[in-house]
Amino acid sequence: MILQHVADGILSGAVVALGAIGLSFTMKMLRFANFSHSELLTWGAYSALVFVAFFSSFGGFLDRTIGPFSFGASLLLAMPCACIATSMVALLLHRFVFERLSRMAGHMTMVFASFGVALTLRHLVVLIWGSDPIYYSRELQFAILLPGNVRVMPDQVFLLGLTVVVVIALHLFMSRSRAGISMRGVAENPDLARASGVNVDRIVTWVWVIGASGAAIGGVLYGMTVQLRPELGFSLILPLFAAAILGGTGSLYGAVLGGLIVGLSENLSVMVIPTTYKPAVPFLLILAILYFRPEGIFGERSR
Amino acid sequence: MLQKFGLAAVVAALTGIGSSAGAVDCPVKLGAILPVSGPMGQVGERIAETGLFAVEQFNEAGGVLGCPVEYVLRDTQGQSAVGVDAAKSLVDLDGVQALIGAVSSGVSLPVLTSVAVPSKVVQVSCCSSSESFTTLAEEGKTEGYWFRTYATNRSQSAIGAKLTVDSGFRKTAVIYVNTDFGVGLAKRFERDIAKLGGSITSLVAYNESQQSYRAEVTKALEGNPDSLFLVAFPVDGATITREWLSLGGTDNLIVNNSLRSDDYFQAVGSQFLQNMQGYDSAQPRLPSVDSFNEMFEARFEGPPNGPGLHSVYDAVTVVLLAMEASGDITGDSIRDNIRLVTSPDGVEVYPGPEGIARAKELLAEGKTIRYVGATGALSFDGNGDVQAPKMTWKLDGDENVETGYMSTAEVAELIRMLDG
Repeated sequence: MILQHVADGILSGAVVALGAIGLSFTMKMLRFANFSHSELLTWGAYSALVFVAFFSSFGGFLDRTIGPFSFGASLLLAMPCACIATSMVALLLHRFVFERLSRMAGHMTMVFASFGVALTLRHLVVLIWGSDPIYYSRELQFAILLPGNVRVMPDQVFLLGLTVVVVIALHLFMSRSRAGISMRGVAENPDLARASGVNVDRIVTWVWVIGASGAAIGGVLYGMTVQLRPELGFSLILPLFAAAILGGTGSLYGAVLGGLIVGLSENLSVMVIPTTYKPAVPFLLILAILYFRPEGIFGERSR
Repeated sequence: MLQKFGLAAVVAALTGIGSSAGAVDCPVKLGAILPVSGPMGQVGERIAETGLFAVEQFNEAGGVLGCPVEYVLRDTQGQSAVGVDAAKSLVDLDGVQALIGAVSSGVSLPVLTSVAVPSKVVQVSCCSSSESFTTLAEEGKTEGYWFRTYATNRSQSAIGAKLTVDSGFRKTAVIYVNTDFGVGLAKRFERDIAKLGGSITSLVAYNESQQSYRAEVTKALEGNPDSLFLVAFPVDGATITREWLSLGGTDNLIVNNSLRSDDYFQAVGSQFLQNMQGYDSAQPRLPSVDSFNEMFEARFEGPPNGPGLHSVYDAVTVVLLAMEASGDITGDSIRDNIRLVTSPDGVEVYPGPEGIARAKELLAEGKTIRYVGATGALSFDGNGDVQAPKMTWKLDGDENVETGYMSTAEVAELIRMLDG
């Protein structure tokens, strides 16, 4: 059974990691804790629903499921569209809320504003799509038995594979592309980066697009393997923060590792404590990391 | 509204035979504390009217000990503070010796502990189903003044366990909602199924409104259970069931009554639920119930659909019969006589003026009686609780079909066996 809990932990950790990447970047580069970030997962998942319906309406191969998976080409096409739509939501929020506030207000104001934004986004979802759970596909997928008596669903294998691809792509972007290197520069020291001729506003746009796209993919994968609910993102907010803080803000690998640790510890915890206390595990992780290594695993000690 | 009731009560009282008997002061007052306004106002008003109807019928049969009965109604607004004040004024100012109500357990409980028990007044609720009252009674804190004509949650675990064992399942996993209701039911189920020869592989609680229950489901799958007893509400219940089936859990499901809902069937998909079974409360199938329904329709020009109508009628009638049987009207004598008018080996009597007149004759002859009323044959246990009939169901395609029926007596017998 321990292997099953490990498998479950890695799978739920992968979604947390995708969400935590964006949260970690915004926390480091825009210097505030964005509590509305988790709502971007919800928006990503729900906007994909619209695109899935759109692409499926063409029928043909778009409407058919692929191999053992519960979804078809329409969902694969919907995913990048959802990334674009969610990035637009994030940029609008930046333009009309966070950028304006950051010019005149302090950190706490930003944090509380992000709470307000989170509530608004969540209830807009309720207003548009209703509060009942929705599924991309009503079909129930049955798990396949892997060696070691571990059961996973084909969709979950896809989830894990796509997460690995996204992380590798981001790694290449951050280490090879000019925008990625500038981004790391801004994270280190925005004033110095600006003085060296880096267009900070462009970089901030990149941060939002990457963060929102990661969140959208995470949201779609979550919706695909579990279900869509307006509280999808909200219920992940603690694991997301735990992962971002655990890994060290601004670090890609930190966020990924943090996500996996959160997922694993949540799932393994039920072997020793009653399941009702499971939601408390991310809290304990945050407390522990802030106590022993406040800068996070990959974070740098601030001067 | 209250004034109308008050007037009606007086009219009802006056239409009764006015001859006064020596032992008691006329008229005899019966207190009722019900939520006729506030969030439960619509339900409460119907219950209050039905209570008055029961008093009217008793008065038609000659009242209590030759005295007309006056029905004194006070509004609780569904709030405990208002309910306690109302009960206090009924006891202290009107001098009632018995209270009917309240509807919510949250109102009945403070009325019981801070008014009824200290003042030695009998309280009979039509509608409160919380198991807290049973616990309180077991601890001796109700001093026997508490009764209710509405079945408790106790029978749910008994029926669930019986259904599981009767279906041939021996290793059952339990997933339950982490609330008072769920925890109580799961703990009872664990005890009940052991007595019936089944066993539990795991007891897993879940918190409401979580996104995913993979960890809980994985935990419940340990020990290869051959069946799952699921205590949940439709939305989370559907998430759990889907994950349970996806992860290779058995489709031998036993579910509680809240999952007898189309929302749940559709969210999971009926095609996956063909081996699911469940239970629910049922109306008793007895002539006394039909005759109450007919009298009600004649009086109110509509069928008695709605919570608490049958049970409030019986609450009122049982209290008045106990007054008649005791010969004097004090809380203590009402308390001691309630079981004598619902005695399992008494002569059966039925609702309506004729039935009550017959009951009074039998009592005058010194015989014990058994009131079989609008909710069937009432049988109060030591804690003042009654049982109600249950039915079992399953899905056949998309159709929800009844698979079995257990009468009140059978349910009570099952619980006696499990608790004995």
